[in-house]
Amino acid sequence: MDTSSPAAFVNGGLLRMHVGRKVRTVIQVTRSDAGSVMGKSTDGCQLVVRGSPPAPLTSYVEVIGVAENENSIRAELWTNFGDSFDASNYDQLCQLANGELKHLFL
Amino acid sequence: MPVNLTRNAIAMMNSGDVNSKPLVQVVDIKLIGNSQERYRFLLSDSESTQHAMLATQLNEQVRTGRVKKGSIIQLIDYICSTVQNRRIIVVLNMETIIPEYEIIGNPKLLMGSEPEANKSMPNNNLFEPSTRSTNNRYSAPAPANKAQSFQPTIQPAYQPPPNYKIQGPIMKNEAPARIIPIAALNPYQGRWAIKARVTAKGDLRRYNNARGDGKVFSFDLLDSDGGEIRVTCFNAVVDRFYNVIEVGKVYLISKGSLKPAQKNFNHLKNEWEIFLESNSTVELCPDEDGSIPRQQFSFRPITEIESAENNSILDVIGIVISVNPSVPILRKNGMETQRRILNLKDVSGKSVELTLWGDFCNKEGQKLQEMVDSGLFPVLAVKAGKVNDFNGKSIGTISSTQLFIDPDCPEAQGLRAWFESGGRNTASISISKEIMPGGSKNEIRKTLTQIKDEGLGRSDKPDWVTAKATVVFIKTDNFCYTACPLMIGDRQCNKKVTQSGNKRWLCDRCNQEFEECDYRYLLQVQIQDHTGLTWVTAFQEAGEEILGCSAKEMYLLKYELQDDTRFGEIIRSRLFHQYLFRLKIKEELYGDEQRVKITVVKVDKVNYSAESRYLLDMVTKNLPNRKQF
Repeated sequence: MDTSSPAAFVNGGLLRMHVGRKVRTVIQVTRSDAGSVMGKSTDGCQLVVRGSPPAPLTSYVEVIGVAENENSIRAELWTNFGDSFDASNYDQLCQLANGELKHLFL
Repeated sequence: MPVNLTRNAIAMMNSGDVNSKPLVQVVDIKLIGNSQERYRFLLSDSESTQHAMLATQLNEQVRTGRVKKGSIIQLIDYICSTVQNRRIIVVLNMETIIPEYEIIGNPKLLMGSEPEANKSMPNNNLFEPSTRSTNNRYSAPAPANKAQSFQPTIQPAYQPPPNYKIQGPIMKNEAPARIIPIAALNPYQGRWAIKARVTAKGDLRRYNNARGDGKVFSFDLLDSDGGEIRVTCFNAVVDRFYNVIEVGKVYLISKGSLKPAQKNFNHLKNEWEIFLESNSTVELCPDEDGSIPRQQFSFRPITEIESAENNSILDVIGIVISVNPSVPILRKNGMETQRRILNLKDVSGKSVELTLWGDFCNKEGQKLQEMVDSGLFPVLAVKAGKVNDFNGKSIGTISSTQLFIDPDCPEAQGLRAWFESGGRNTASISISKEIMPGGSKNEIRKTLTQIKDEGLGRSDKPDWVTAKATVVFIKTDNFCYTACPLMIGDRQCNKKVTQSGNKRWLCDRCNQEFEECDYRYLLQVQIQDHTGLTWVTAFQEAGEEILGCSAKEMYLLKYELQDDTRFGEIIRSRLFHQYLFRLKIKEELYGDEQRVKITVVKVDKVNYSAESRYLLDMVTKNLPNRKQF
């Protein structure tokens, strides 16, 4: 497993804690243009992801990239997560990964 | 040894003296009272006598023989009162000084208004009762004669005539015994008579034991108060009464002995049983006594049977919804008997399986079969059925069971009315199927090592748990068995069948042969989780979920087509799948040792969303920070 550049699990609210660093998150796509995708984070924030999304794009997509600011990410890797996804579970994961169980994550 | 009873003790007590603590003699003891055990003494001071009631706390002394007729006692605590114009002493505390002694002197009953008589003209002062008395229980010819040999200082020196009898209301009464309720019968009763209807008559049984040959029969009685008792006769007594007793008739019975009931065979609500003897009397009462019911039931709704104890005896009534044919069954003792299974349904919305054994199959069972076959749904009342908890709860007949088809009782009418006005169409849940406790809300999650560490399955009820694990090995030898496809009620028989002849199969339970048998899974699977691994057994439904195809397909593939390659591929493809296993864990005896057997009752694919929620919940519950509060 390549641990050279770990990405922190974030939701909309936690993105600001990792500006300039590698992050990963799952968004529900609301709009998709050439060059960027707008989506809702698992805690309900509007995020912008810059880059070239895969075609076709499913409703939920995971992006791994660098946090530009508190609501935008420059994507390096896109993964389609399908059309059904449990957002609340993911959100709780993000909170644990940044909070009480931070020590368990890279 | 000369004994001096307290002179004039009786007169003193009667005039109110409660402090003298006199020495008196017990001339007679009589047990009186139907519902309560009360003893009445006749006390003597050697000249006069007086009745005295013994306080119940002293009853033990009479029962154990510490005080008896002739005992010399000292009254320590007593009161004197007037009851029906007679003075009666109540003894609250006494002590037996000499347990056995000849009757001292010539005591006579002291009546309240009569003058004291300590003079000696016995013939003039004899109290003559008007009732017949042939019994000389209290005659004192022998003791009177012996009384001459000792010289009590107080006694007047005279010789009572040899045929002297103490007479009074204490003599034996030859009048017919009063009829008492069955509920009042007990071994200390004294004379009793009961009037009751025969509700059941047992078969005449012959037996042979160390003492030789014998015969016995029993019958059950019910009286107008609802009391029930069993009556048993042995040997010669059987000859006297066997043909006299008929079910449904009312008899007056007296002079039997009362002994503790044998709870193994006698399920009536009575701690005693009557044993008739050579001097017992049984008289038929020809007048129809409407006050005595024909039968007494205490029906339990089927829903209550679900929580009844295994082997308990109860009455139940229901509509017969299905009757299966009679099949011969080989019992453990090598004897063959008949068995029929029926299903009963009642207003509680539940149904129960009733198993008829032996003669019930041919008599009531056959009748019920005919009725159901012709479209009827009869009411069946069962008296004294036994609860069995092998598969859920069911009821079976025992030797003392009685079955009543369409009985004329209010419960039957109520059931019929319910059935006709909709009960017929309401679905009922059978309590005779294995129940899996706990829905998804009550699921207990365990890891595989917890099963062993926590000793699950060792109590008398099985443990039901859920475990998330992965299939790591499936045993391919004997992965299925040949099963009986015939239906018993609404369930498939599924018993293992044996080959009979060339291409036919035989089922012992259904006693039928057929060409095609069913194939059902009996899979031994090894499952593993992060804590450990264990073997489990999966039956049909669980097996199909694990292997993804029917047992019959796999059987044909392996044994008919003999395509081991394909067979192996299928097996391999099913390994390393993770499931949520609902497990039934129970310790069972295998030969000599107790082994914990785990059966897969249900296999569910893991729902990742739900499972994640479960795991997140577990994580947050166990976070150390929370405990700091």
